[in-house]
Amino acid sequence: MIGTIVRRLLSMLPVMGVVAVCVFLLLHLAPGDPAAIIAGENVSPENIARIRAQLGLDQPVWRQFLVWVGSLLTGDLGQSMFWGDSVTSLIGQRAEPTISLAFTTVMVAVFLAIGLGVLAAACAGTLVDRLVMGFAVMGFSVPVFVVGYLLIFVFAINLKWLPVQGYTPISEGVAPWLRNLVLPSIALGMAYVALIARITRTTMLDVLAEDYMRTAKAKGVAMRPMLFRHALKNAAVPIATVVGNGVALLIGGVVITETVFNIPGVGRLVVDAIARRDYPIIQGVIMVFSGVYVLVNLLVDLSYTFLDPRIRD
Amino acid sequence: MSAYHGAMVYDTLFGIDGEEAPQPQMVGKYGASDDKLTWTFELRDGLRWHDGTAVTTADVVPSLKRWAARNGAAQLMMQRVQAIEAKDDKTFTIVLKERFGLLLDTLASSDTPTCFMMRKREAETDPMQKIDQVVGSGPFTFNVAETKAGSQYVYDKNATYVPRGEPPSGIAGGKVVKVDRVIYQNMPDSQTAVAALQAGEIDFYEIPPIDLMAQLQSDPNLVFEVLSELGTVGMMRVNHLQPPFDNQKVRQALLYTVKQEDMLRPTFVDPKWFHGCGSFFTCGSPMENDANMAWYTGGQNLAKARELMKEGGYDGRPIVLLQATNIPYMSNAATVLAQQLRSAGFTVQLEPMDWSNVVQRRTSKAPPDKGGWNIFITSGGGSSYSNPYIDIGMAANGEKGWYGWPTNELHEQLREKWINAETLAERKAIARQIQDNAWNFVPHLYYGQWTQPVAHRKNVTGWVHVPEIIPFWNVQKG
Repeated sequence: MIGTIVRRLLSMLPVMGVVAVCVFLLLHLAPGDPAAIIAGENVSPENIARIRAQLGLDQPVWRQFLVWVGSLLTGDLGQSMFWGDSVTSLIGQRAEPTISLAFTTVMVAVFLAIGLGVLAAACAGTLVDRLVMGFAVMGFSVPVFVVGYLLIFVFAINLKWLPVQGYTPISEGVAPWLRNLVLPSIALGMAYVALIARITRTTMLDVLAEDYMRTAKAKGVAMRPMLFRHALKNAAVPIATVVGNGVALLIGGVVITETVFNIPGVGRLVVDAIARRDYPIIQGVIMVFSGVYVLVNLLVDLSYTFLDPRIRD
Repeated sequence: MSAYHGAMVYDTLFGIDGEEAPQPQMVGKYGASDDKLTWTFELRDGLRWHDGTAVTTADVVPSLKRWAARNGAAQLMMQRVQAIEAKDDKTFTIVLKERFGLLLDTLASSDTPTCFMMRKREAETDPMQKIDQVVGSGPFTFNVAETKAGSQYVYDKNATYVPRGEPPSGIAGGKVVKVDRVIYQNMPDSQTAVAALQAGEIDFYEIPPIDLMAQLQSDPNLVFEVLSELGTVGMMRVNHLQPPFDNQKVRQALLYTVKQEDMLRPTFVDPKWFHGCGSFFTCGSPMENDANMAWYTGGQNLAKARELMKEGGYDGRPIVLLQATNIPYMSNAATVLAQQLRSAGFTVQLEPMDWSNVVQRRTSKAPPDKGGWNIFITSGGGSSYSNPYIDIGMAANGEKGWYGWPTNELHEQLREKWINAETLAERKAIARQIQDNAWNFVPHLYYGQWTQPVAHRKNVTGWVHVPEIIPFWNVQKG
């Protein structure tokens, strides 16, 4: 097992290498001048050229790439062109809100979606099934920001139950931390719930049609243990795969959700950096997001061996 | 944002008051020699950096030099300065090579980069490099520990700050802090900011969207206030190096083509917040005048525009108009301008891109079809265009100058004359001549002027009206 993990970790390196090349080239081939943005409006072209030279942007692209990759290999993501702070520290400052949002979203989404998926499968063809699938289609179709604004309008402005925006660190208490995360997690989780609920239903229906399930039913096994102990366990591998793949969806949604709910997370950091062409931040955040995505998928792959003993054998 | 931050943490030697006159701020006594060539300034008592050390002229002199390296107006000032010298800890002199009637105005200007005083240590950093510590002597201290770059900036009341005795006026007068802490939150989404203001989660919103104003005005807990009466001026830069706008007649055709109000209406909706302005200098500023404004008072005249285009030999080549799509007012103005140009008979190629792309593209002197451009749209604070020397875009010094690179010898001579004038009346007379000439050679055009009200909760009072910055001194929350 350890050998497998090490091999899989090593196989991440070429993937990350390709990501690094693509991110760097895309950014540097795209138009936009960070030096001009940093300088502001009322500044002479000579002063902009001086800033560009100080940032190393007057160097050939290949040299800039080598400098960046060299730093990357030592674990240094570089310095923000705009703020001057290290990208690692900026990501560190913003990591907690993003991790919190992702965590609460996954928790809410996985439990809700699996519950709904199992319910829809158990009631296949009934009104309940149609309602659950209708909800899933809606969750997948309505953009995160629309759901976000609606939630703000109803629960923050009209009912005044929850705050409109912001983030409270968990160090200031779990309750205030959760209060700020309820609405964003629901908004972000909608598409995720839809995705997982649909795959859970489909897989569960396949499993429920298996002979051993019919046997279990004939032997008089009650509905609940049959669904959760027997069927769901056998449907777990495809569900885990979708949960892992959905992380990409989550990362994309985090950027928008953090903007709508004014959460000072990594998503906001990268959106602001894109507007300013702050290359080190954009590159650093994308490398981190890519690493997280690859790692999550590795964990999902490893989870198969626990979910299905046949794979372990 | 950097100007807002600076005004909280740093102080200035002089400040412009509500009547646009320079008033001493960190300076106590000051005066000029009889020949007006040597100016002596004495720092007032009680000035301390946030680290507790005293502000001395050893800090002031490098601060002035750092500012002068970046500010266009300061560079003009420095061309007339022979020496800036510290005489003792509290006294310094500025010795001029020639008389310069705008010395105090330049030191007091709130245009960015502003003449903020910083410690010698930071002031001696390369002017093009970011300083590594924020230690000022202003009314607020910068709370680094609670600040999150790009998201939240925290300022605490500077308990040791000694404000001047005069009432606040503009950025001059007593900066009396009446709140313990000010937190700037960078909120990228206007809908969220509006909701947060209505819910009482924030007290102040700098740029409430005009299209949401009706929704906001119905809220009895909110107040709307224009803090900068001069507002913002929209500027269209034309490229003087490339055809067809290398031709004066074709540039003049633009004057008769553009209908300013139509360019602003899609964004600012209610005429209460915007208006056209035919003056070369910001409307409402002392230099505003009506010289050579027939093209404006006569309204849009497409027949005249076509006549001038013909005289200028416009051959139907596409006009490349850069459109910053991520800044709504610029994007809307560009869309309307494109249509107005087409109505006059120009062929227009609207090139949508984000602002960071515009600021790169506008540096190109290449032909428009080879990566260059013909027109881009920008804006500036009303005070920037209220005189001919503060803003770099008001010059016509050719390729040494700002993007668009207009060249006009008479314009430069008149600017020089204006700068050297010693009375307001003289300056006003020269401003008329500048405008008369400017609307002949057309260095650039404007697409109107607008005032953006701020929105704040009713219980937050005491806002001082200042162009370019939002002062939080004198503000109290009841």
